[in-house]
Amino acid sequence: MSEIVLQAKGLKKSFKSPAGSLAVLRSVDLEVRAGESLSIRGSSGSGKTTLLQLLGGLDIPDAGEVRLQLGSRSFVAPHRCLGQGVGFVFQNYQLMAELNAWENVALAAEIAGRGKSEKEAQELLTLVGLGHRIHHMPAQLSGGESQRVAIARALINQPAVILADEPTGNLDETTGQEIMKLLLEVVAQQQAALVLVTHSKEFAERTQRRLLLSGGVLSPA
Amino acid sequence: MAWFFHLALRQLFPPGKRFPAFAIVSILGVGLGVASLLVVQTVMNGFGEEHRLRIRESFGECVVIANRPISNVDELVSSLNVEEEVLSISPYAEGPALTRRGSFAGVAFVRGIVPTDEDLPARGYVIAGDFNDLDDGRVVLGIGLARDLRVKVGDKIDLWSPVMVDQAEKGKAPLPAELEVCAIVRTGFSEVDNRAAMISLRRFRELWSLGNKVHGVILRLDDPNQAPVIAARLNQGKPDLRFVPWQEIKKNFLEAIRFEKTMLFFLMFIITLVASFSIGSTLFSAVIRRTREVGVLVALGAKPWQLVGLFGLQGLWIGALGTSLGFILTWTILSFRDSILGTINSLFGDGDMVANVYQFSRVPLHYDPMDFLIAAVFTLLVTTLAGLVPAIWAASRKPSEAMRDV
Repeated sequence: MSEIVLQAKGLKKSFKSPAGSLAVLRSVDLEVRAGESLSIRGSSGSGKTTLLQLLGGLDIPDAGEVRLQLGSRSFVAPHRCLGQGVGFVFQNYQLMAELNAWENVALAAEIAGRGKSEKEAQELLTLVGLGHRIHHMPAQLSGGESQRVAIARALINQPAVILADEPTGNLDETTGQEIMKLLLEVVAQQQAALVLVTHSKEFAERTQRRLLLSGGVLSPA
Repeated sequence: MAWFFHLALRQLFPPGKRFPAFAIVSILGVGLGVASLLVVQTVMNGFGEEHRLRIRESFGECVVIANRPISNVDELVSSLNVEEEVLSISPYAEGPALTRRGSFAGVAFVRGIVPTDEDLPARGYVIAGDFNDLDDGRVVLGIGLARDLRVKVGDKIDLWSPVMVDQAEKGKAPLPAELEVCAIVRTGFSEVDNRAAMISLRRFRELWSLGNKVHGVILRLDDPNQAPVIAARLNQGKPDLRFVPWQEIKKNFLEAIRFEKTMLFFLMFIITLVASFSIGSTLFSAVIRRTREVGVLVALGAKPWQLVGLFGLQGLWIGALGTSLGFILTWTILSFRDSILGTINSLFGDGDMVANVYQFSRVPLHYDPMDFLIAAVFTLLVTTLAGLVPAIWAASRKPSEAMRDV
């Protein structure tokens, strides 16, 4: 069995609302192993995105802890090492409109302090099937192409885990299928783990492990 | 180049956009603010310089006034001649007199001078006649006094000195001195133009019964700006004399010019400030519009100081480009200042105010590098701060808050 790269224990998170405190995550335990793919399904508002943000270090839990293995170093809280060890793929791609495809990919490496990495970015874009569109601006790319750029961006820093939040949510069915296939392939090829948040039972079934988030707790689907 | 430098530049000037409206309008706003500030300052400097020159040329660079008439003027001249800061020395005597032509009369402040002296004050402000024609039988009048007496060059006036009044009181019947007007001057200073009458020193001594005495000397200095320091040094050990530098002669007037310039600087600075605030508000809305991008950048590992740099730099570049544009606009406007003023005058039918009111042949200007430096530093500071405030706000947001919008 491969080693654990991301671990969450007893995660709790609630938000203030006019009706009082709203507990979104009551007690979430999760272990993600190197190279595995797992999906998290749940209804709207069940806390999938919140869980993904806690796993990626974009938010801090009210209770519990998240630990990420960073190379040979011991486990660290992801919010202390944003941009390292975890790659994000968002539903709306979230590319920088003023940068072209390869610059968007290379930006992640630059922010992580790895220099411009132009060649690496172009290789990754070729890997995701966009080798011929590396100089195109996001406005000149289709939804599927934009998501391919976002996947390449998530991979450029060789993260141990890719956190994908509804990556096919904005795409038509055919393109969604292509993107899902690509995501699973390249993640496996890069030996990264994949945590996929999705509504789609079909896409979820393509992952090795399937979980359901309901009532603030995770359970096998 | 750090990534946030590159991204800031791209956000300000997006590739493929022929007209980056936000950047151009912001730069233009700052440029116009800086230009209005500098045009006003430079013209005010010009007026100040012209007035200072006029004061020196109308009253002298340093006037030495004696407590009582000086009998040993040659000794004083010799002692001042050895001072290397002193370029020339002109003895003078002065006093009030009554002037009359026909039924028109006026009180004149008469100054007796050495007509051949090339450095005499007011020599450069002759508007009619010739100063070189001044001799014992002629007089140079200020324009106001000439008008009061209804005289022009070539006319004759009568002059009564206080000595003649003394003689009349003693029962004598003195005849007035008859003098021909050889030149008329206009300096722009009412105390000179309305009262001045210049006659030869020899004639003055005769009319005022001064003998060989004079009332003082006028000095020309190698560095007029240092007049107060030189005057103070020369005054040492001479308790009967008072060395008055030109800055003191018209102290209130010079203070008024300086105060006017300071006030205009603040008024113009407010214009630049308003332009900078509008940039701040535009940048603020731009940052809010980019909240999601901020969230993504944080997710990619961007540090708060890098986000501050990303948006702060945009303010700095708008400031730098706006200031440069302001400098170019200033130079262009000032190069065509007379044409611009001519157009304004013809539009509003004001006539040539610069010539009529100030007696300047053209709008004066004086470029002061310090004004440009201050304008640049202030503008860069304000526009950078205008960018920094929303940047700090963006950087201080929790990434999940921004990401929730994703």
